[in-house]
Amino acid sequence: MDKYNYAFLDEGSKREIRRSVLKAVAIPGYQVPFGSRELPIGRGWGTGGIQLTLSLIGPEDTLKVIDQGSDESVNAVNIKKFVKMCTDVPCTTRTQDATIIQTRHRIPEIPLTNKQILVLQVPLPEPLRIVEPQESITKKMHAESDYAPIWVQLYESLIKYGKITIGAEYPCLVEDRYMMNPSPIPKFDNPKLHEAECLYLFGAGREKKIYAIPPHTKVVSLAFEDIPFEKESFKGKQCRLCGSTDTYLDELFDSATGERYYQCSDTSYCKEVRSR
Amino acid sequence: MKQLHTFDEVLDAQKVFRCLLEAMANPGRRCSIRQQQEKLFGENADILAVAMTLLDAKVPFSALENQALTEQILLLTHAKPVAPEEADYVFVSSANQLPTVMQKAKEGTLENPHSSATIVWKIPGGQLEREVLLSGPGVKGKTAVTVPQEVADAMQQRDAQEYEYPQGIDFIFLLPESELLCIPRLVRMEESGYGLCSSIGR
Repeated sequence: MDKYNYAFLDEGSKREIRRSVLKAVAIPGYQVPFGSRELPIGRGWGTGGIQLTLSLIGPEDTLKVIDQGSDESVNAVNIKKFVKMCTDVPCTTRTQDATIIQTRHRIPEIPLTNKQILVLQVPLPEPLRIVEPQESITKKMHAESDYAPIWVQLYESLIKYGKITIGAEYPCLVEDRYMMNPSPIPKFDNPKLHEAECLYLFGAGREKKIYAIPPHTKVVSLAFEDIPFEKESFKGKQCRLCGSTDTYLDELFDSATGERYYQCSDTSYCKEVRSR
Repeated sequence: MKQLHTFDEVLDAQKVFRCLLEAMANPGRRCSIRQQQEKLFGENADILAVAMTLLDAKVPFSALENQALTEQILLLTHAKPVAPEEADYVFVSSANQLPTVMQKAKEGTLENPHSSATIVWKIPGGQLEREVLLSGPGVKGKTAVTVPQEVADAMQQRDAQEYEYPQGIDFIFLLPESELLCIPRLVRMEESGYGLCSSIGR
């Protein structure tokens, strides 16, 4: 990797991403367009998150990468290897030790601190895409704060199924202004975005958008006055490994025995509880 | 060949960027760029460190009437010097330029609020400091911070422009102790009631 620049990207690309990141932080929830670069990984495999991580990272950082809560999944391991190869930064699985955490689909169970940055990989950054296919129109809808179609969609779901059926990518309103897709994190993680201590950065490589939630920002998941927001409930269930009852649990199914069991999706947290 | 500076465009730029990011995400917090700034030259080394971190050939900037600064930024970054109303980054080195900057700086549009200007303001030493209350994204509730008088004046003048959010302008202040302090467009200021504090020499 000696022939490549530090952190793989050329400095011009980093500068452009950095300018976009600062704008994104100044306008919480607004999707700032950026010129997404080619990487040795196909778009849709976390390239938005990787470009953010590569533009942020320096020799004093410690990196953690998780995929669906796991430090050991293929996507996480390969991203970690790639970033380490071109920066030589130390990697960790302990959430508390990391300064930059790149993640897909989860926010760690351990509350993050003000010294940490969580980089989320986003496949579809536009929360209005489900109700409007044209980018020029969704941009106008954001400009005018015209979010009625999303509310209608929630209402229709309520009428049809008796409850709001969106699981992941549950839309939220940032600082009473921008409708934002929190990336495909489960509803369970949505409340962690509100008034957090850390900085959240969202990168969508294929869709060429960057957006952010600074610390101590108001992030409200959409809900009706009489139907409050509800996150997934794991009442009566516990992790089969560590016994936790307050974490986000993955359901596993044994087709041979027909048995269902649950375990923490955040593998590093689960390990830590077991070692106590 | 004569070496103009020892600022590392890779590693020093990364450090300055992280300071900018920390300051922008935590308005009111001061972050030091002393080590990086010392690798550049002249009385505007802090401005040049920020310029080298953020600017390149395609970025329009204005240093207003400061011709020497324009030439230095041009020499180091190859960015495009333009009129203040077209600039993405406006570098201000004198408080007299405040009214012009406020009137001319781009505020973006409702559809593209990111096309607004960022004002990089060098605050001279020896000013009185003032305790103010900041609130908005990045600030926990209402937080009392001490800022130089010019920072408070700049925020007041910006608020008087009554931009319709998400339009607006963002500030990067360069303080005399080689520190950065950022005030993004949503952050508001109130007087804390304590008024003027001690002077910051230097």
